[in-house]
Amino acid sequence: MTTPLLVIKDLHACVGDKEIIKGLSLTINKGEVHAMMGPNGAGKSSLSYVLSGKQGYEVTSGEIVFKGKNLLDMSVEERAREGVFLSLQYPVEIPGVGVSNFLKHSLNAVRKHNGEEELDTINFMKLLRSEANSLGINPEMLKRFVNVGFSGGEKKRFETLQMALLKPSFSILDEIDSGLDIDALKTVSEGVNNLRNEDNAFLLITHYQRLLSYIVPDVVHIFADGKIIKTGDKSLAIELEENGYASFLKED
Amino acid sequence: MKESSLIKNVDLFLDDKPSVYALRDRAKKCLFDYGFPTKKNENWKYTDVKEILIRDFDINQKQCDGECCCKNKAEDSYFIEFCFCAGTLHVEDFVLPEGVNVIPLPLMLYEGEYKKYLFNAFDLKKHPFACLNGMYLEQGLCIIVDKGIKVDVPLLIKYKNTKSDNIQMNIHNVVVLEKNANLSIVEEFYSKVDNSYLLNIVNEIYLKENSELNHYKIQKESKKAYHIALNALKIYEKAKYKQYYVSNGAKISRNENEINLEAKDALAEIYSAYKVSKDMLSDITTNVNHNVLETSSNQYAKAVLEDGAKAVFQGKVYIAKDAVKSVGNQLHKALYLDGDAELCCKPQLEIYADDVKCSHGASCGEIDEEQLFYLTSRGIAKDVAVKLITDAHLNEIYSLIEDEVIREKFII
Repeated sequence: MTTPLLVIKDLHACVGDKEIIKGLSLTINKGEVHAMMGPNGAGKSSLSYVLSGKQGYEVTSGEIVFKGKNLLDMSVEERAREGVFLSLQYPVEIPGVGVSNFLKHSLNAVRKHNGEEELDTINFMKLLRSEANSLGINPEMLKRFVNVGFSGGEKKRFETLQMALLKPSFSILDEIDSGLDIDALKTVSEGVNNLRNEDNAFLLITHYQRLLSYIVPDVVHIFADGKIIKTGDKSLAIELEENGYASFLKED
Repeated sequence: MKESSLIKNVDLFLDDKPSVYALRDRAKKCLFDYGFPTKKNENWKYTDVKEILIRDFDINQKQCDGECCCKNKAEDSYFIEFCFCAGTLHVEDFVLPEGVNVIPLPLMLYEGEYKKYLFNAFDLKKHPFACLNGMYLEQGLCIIVDKGIKVDVPLLIKYKNTKSDNIQMNIHNVVVLEKNANLSIVEEFYSKVDNSYLLNIVNEIYLKENSELNHYKIQKESKKAYHIALNALKIYEKAKYKQYYVSNGAKISRNENEINLEAKDALAEIYSAYKVSKDMLSDITTNVNHNVLETSSNQYAKAVLEDGAKAVFQGKVYIAKDAVKSVGNQLHKALYLDGDAELCCKPQLEIYADDVKCSHGASCGEIDEEQLFYLTSRGIAKDVAVKLITDAHLNEIYSLIEDEVIREKFII
């Protein structure tokens, strides 16, 4: 029995005058992991911004239904509170904003939305330390400013920590493998795998098949020129790795 | 000069003592000769005080009735506390560490011993509001720290206005740190109600050889208030002055520093953080005179401006002919929350010596959209995210404060 979590129908979106999503339809069910693969400039990251509601990414037609609600009616923060999480390819540095202060505001905003009691500093810190510990994050990192001076691996680990705290029902991981060495990739993948359950879903955006041997997807899409051109199972990713994007683009 | 309804005829304590009367009269004559500032005055070019001059603010001569916050002062306070209630010193017995002398201004005027420190750190002619202050010289504190005394408890001076409306408060403090002395002073200005008043304060500060003063100023006046302050200093050999200033505005607030570096290795640093919105005006004006060689000054201000507010930052560094190898830096960084706010930044370098290091800079920017997106995409409401980012901007100044209890007071 499958329950759709996210349903996208014939989505068109643009940035300024430029159309970047050109008729995309996609259904993601609870418990599934989808991989979106495609060449540079295909609009993969743009799709992730459209889903999270970033300013400047305007939907011109089509619909996005998330947990039965119209996602397009919601602001960035409302989407996040409903359970949409975007792990950014390049998380931005915010000098002066402390990691734990940021996370406390974020978690309490989500908890409040879900009708749960907000955590006080003591209970929050307990939770934060334990989650950080299970991801192998140095407690010293929690005293730093958001992403400031973090290595590539630390940034991705920090994104994973946020996911572990917020427990989003739908996570978009935009090139979570970029800038990671093999060991960091293993840790981050393990972190993500531990968060997988039958109620949530993931959309992995990646260039390479490599990530998919650590986080095994249920469905693989090939995305080019603003839409999905082929969908298959994990073997599609292997086929793609062997033949390159060009062969698929020709078919289209 | 043009008439101003700020000038009142009142009887002041010790007017019958010729030496005291002479002081007040000197200030009065100066004000009448040179007048209140207009926009034609270079030093007041961007801050129009017309609206203050037409106000009919009374001189408050009521003594504090004791039914105020001073009454419930905790005995184990982190600070040694003094309180001005609506401009008058709340006098009570205070316990002071050895080597620290605190004398209420009337007593100082009566005894006359420290009178040489009055109107000595600045030129009356150049400071009209200090003249007004001098005409009504009555309220204030004189703080003297003896030679070699390092005071580890900070002094907290509160200036609060709870009930009175439509008054002017002229307060004149003197701080003297003798050779090798150390002290921290926290000045906290606040009002619990949205009254309109003028707080006109002058601090004359003398830092003798190798002494160190940390001066923390927290300005949280009423949004209808006028706050005019002059900090005038004479800093001698190897003495260090550090000022940390935070303000969340007032109708008009001006924090002016007149700093004289009088001997080798004298140092002055002014760090400011402020946030203004709506029809408020914040003015930070600093004039540093490097009078001798190898003296240093640094001015660093960070601002958050929104919703039609105006900010003025004037930083003048004067380096005398013989003041070689001096260092004078100034920098102002502003964050605009909307395009409607106005910032007037005027750096002035007047350098007569060769071989000096001076710099000035100003930057302004808007909230970084990528940072805002990152925070909101984690469920944080937009207004909270904006506050986190603006606090972070000002936090750079707060983080320079080592004392955690004092740093906590700075957060606006």
